Amino acid sequence: MPAPGAPPATAAPRTVLACGEVRTCLLPAGQALDSRAAAQLLRLRADERVLVSERPNLYGRSPDTLTGVDCPLPSANGARIRAVGTVAARAALTEGRVLQTSAYFTLPASGPDHRRPWGDYLVRPAVVEPLGKLPYDAVAAGLLDGGRHGDLDVGLIAGGLLTRLLRHPLLDQRPPLRSRQTRLRWVALTAPPGEAPALERFTVAEDELRTVRLRVPEDIPAADLAGLCDDLALHDWLLTTLVRVLDGIRLGPAAPGSWPRTSGDGELPPVVGALRPAVDHLLHLWMPRARVSGRLAPLWEALEERPGFTRQWLALVQRVRDQLTLHAIPPVHREVEPAP
Amino acid sequence: MTEAVFRETTAEPRTQAVPLSHLSLELGHLYMEDFEAGPEHLRRHFARVRPWAEAARAVAADRAGGRRARISTCFLIDDYFTRFASPAEVVPMLLEEAERAGLAVDYLARESACAVSGKVPVAEAVAARIVEEPPPGSYGNRPPAAQTGWLANGVRSPTARAPQAMRKVAAWEPPRETAARRHSVFLDVELWNETPDGERLWSCPFLAAVWQLARLGLLRHQGEAVFEPRPHTGAFPDEWDDLPPLVRLGERADPFAAYRTCSVLPSRFLPVEHAVRVILDQTDVDRDALRQVAERSAGEGVPVPGPVADRVSYVFCEET
Repeated sequence: MPAPGAPPATAAPRTVLACGEVRTCLLPAGQALDSRAAAQLLRLRADERVLVSERPNLYGRSPDTLTGVDCPLPSANGARIRAVGTVAARAALTEGRVLQTSAYFTLPASGPDHRRPWGDYLVRPAVVEPLGKLPYDAVAAGLLDGGRHGDLDVGLIAGGLLTRLLRHPLLDQRPPLRSRQTRLRWVALTAPPGEAPALERFTVAEDELRTVRLRVPEDIPAADLAGLCDDLALHDWLLTTLVRVLDGIRLGPAAPGSWPRTSGDGELPPVVGALRPAVDHLLHLWMPRARVSGRLAPLWEALEERPGFTRQWLALVQRVRDQLTLHAIPPVHREVEPAP
Repeated sequence: MTEAVFRETTAEPRTQAVPLSHLSLELGHLYMEDFEAGPEHLRRHFARVRPWAEAARAVAADRAGGRRARISTCFLIDDYFTRFASPAEVVPMLLEEAERAGLAVDYLARESACAVSGKVPVAEAVAARIVEEPPPGSYGNRPPAAQTGWLANGVRSPTARAPQAMRKVAAWEPPRETAARRHSVFLDVELWNETPDGERLWSCPFLAAVWQLARLGLLRHQGEAVFEPRPHTGAFPDEWDDLPPLVRLGERADPFAAYRTCSVLPSRFLPVEHAVRVILDQTDVDRDALRQVAERSAGEGVPVPGPVADRVSYVFCEET
C-alpha cells in the first residue's frame, strides 16, 4: 500500500511494446447507415458519447470498452510470461458502410512479481503488465505469429466485439456485395529516442490476415497507433474487396441483343450488375490518413512507395469505370466488345 | 506540435468538471424501520455517530495540511425499496435530531436517485461499466462463469449437475477469491433481479456503489455531471418524487463530491459495504472524470489513491 501522499504506483516502468488487432468488414445492411443510426450502433455504453465526425468523411467511433486478462503472453522462444491487465476495444464505422473493431494494449518493460488488486489495473486502461521482466523482442514476434491456445489473444477480443455488433437489430443482414472479413494484427516496438516512427513491415498472409510491425517513439499513445492501424486495415480491406469484385466477373463479349443492354427480365448485364455495388458502396471510401495523427501520417508513404496502395486503387477504379463506360456505348458504335 | 486549425466538436469528447471537497462524510442511511422507531431512535443514532464524525473531520483536516479542509456531510434516505411517510414528515425530524447532536447535514439524497437521477438511468450506466476481474487463465475469451445480474470477487464453485449414467458425481470444488491471500473470502453479489413485470430492481449494494461514485464525483452522463445538488427552498414536499434527487441544505456547504468518502454506519451495513467494494473494484469509471479528480487532488497536494475503492473509508459503529 503506498502511503498517503506517496506518488501512485502507476508511475510505472516505461512502455516497450504496443499490440493490437483490427477486424474489418462490410456492414451487413442494404443501405449505409446515416450518422444517427451509426451513433446508435456504436453506443456501447449509454452514458458515454459516440464520437461522430463529418470531415473529411463520415465517421463514428465508440467509446473504449475493457476486457480483463490474466494469462501467458505468446512468445517466439516459448517463454511463458504471465501478464495481467486490461485490453481496450472499440468499434468504428466509416461512411456508414465499413465496420471495424479494434482491440489494443501496451506492455511495460517489467511489472511486480505477483498480481495486484484488480482496481489497480482498472485505473490504467489498456495496459497489460507482465509479472517480472518482459522479453519484448520474443513477445513481439510471438504476438505477430499468434500464440498457443490459452495465450493472450487480442484478436478474440476484437472478434467478440464485432460479433456482438453484427447482431445489432439495426442491420438487415443484406449486404450489397460479397466480401470477406480481414484481420490486421500489429505490434509496435519502441524506437530509440530521437528517431522518427517507422513502418518496418506490412505482410499480407493467408486467411485474410495481415501483420504490421512498427517502431515508434515511446510517447506516441497506443490509441494513436490503433488509429493508424485501423486506417491501414480499412484501406487494405478496400483493396482486397475491390480486387475480389473484379476477380469474380467474366469480361468479354456480352450476349448479342437489343440496346439498351438489359436481359429479358430487366436485369443489368452481369458485368454491370457485378460492378455497380462497388460504385455505389466502395469507390468513395478511399481516403488514406483521414484520421491518422500527425506524427504517424508519414508512415503511409512506405506503402505508397511499394507496393503503392493508392496506385493500385486508382488502377482498379479506372478499370471499373472503363468497363461501365464500355457498357454504356451502344453496340453499333463499338468495333470490339468490352474486353479486359 | 502546432494546434490544429480545423476542429469538430462532436468528434472531441468533453467532460464537465464538478466542484470537489476533501471529504464527503456520510452521517447515515435512513430506512423505513428507522423512521418507524421514532425520533428517539434517530437521536441515539446521531449521538453514536457524532464522535466518529469528528474523528473523520480531524483526519481530513490533518491530510489537508495547513489549508482548510473542505468537508461536506450527507445523508441518504431510502425511497427506493420502501416508500414511507413523506419528506414533509421525515426531513424536518431528521434535521432536528441531527442538530440536537451537534451535526449539520449539508446534503440530503434519495436512494431512488441512485437508480434513476432525473431522466438519467445512472444504475444501468454503471452496470454497463463493470469489467469483471479476470481469474487466471483469462486470455480474451468471455468470462466462463458470467452470471447475469451477479458479480463475484473470484471463481464460483462449478455448478453441480445431475450425474449422468456411467459417470461419477463430480466432487465439490470450492469457490476461489481471485485476490486471495492463501485463503479465500469469496463473495458473490446480486446486482439486480427482475420484478414479475420484468422491471429491473437494483440491489441495495449496487445502489450503494453508485452512491459512492456520486460522492467521489466520478459519475457522468455523456460528459455532463449527474447528481447536481439543488438548493432547498420553502417547505419539504408531501411526495418523495417532488423532492430533488440531491438537496443542498446548508447554504454555505462545501461541495457535495469529494476526493475521498467516509461513511459512519451501524455495523449491520458491513456485508453491504463489502459488496460495494467488490463492485467498485470492478467498475471502469469515466476516464476523464478520473483524470480531473487525480489532477486536482495532486494540484492541492492531496493526491487520491489510484484504485477507486481505496478512496472510500468507513466507521462501523454500534447499533443504536
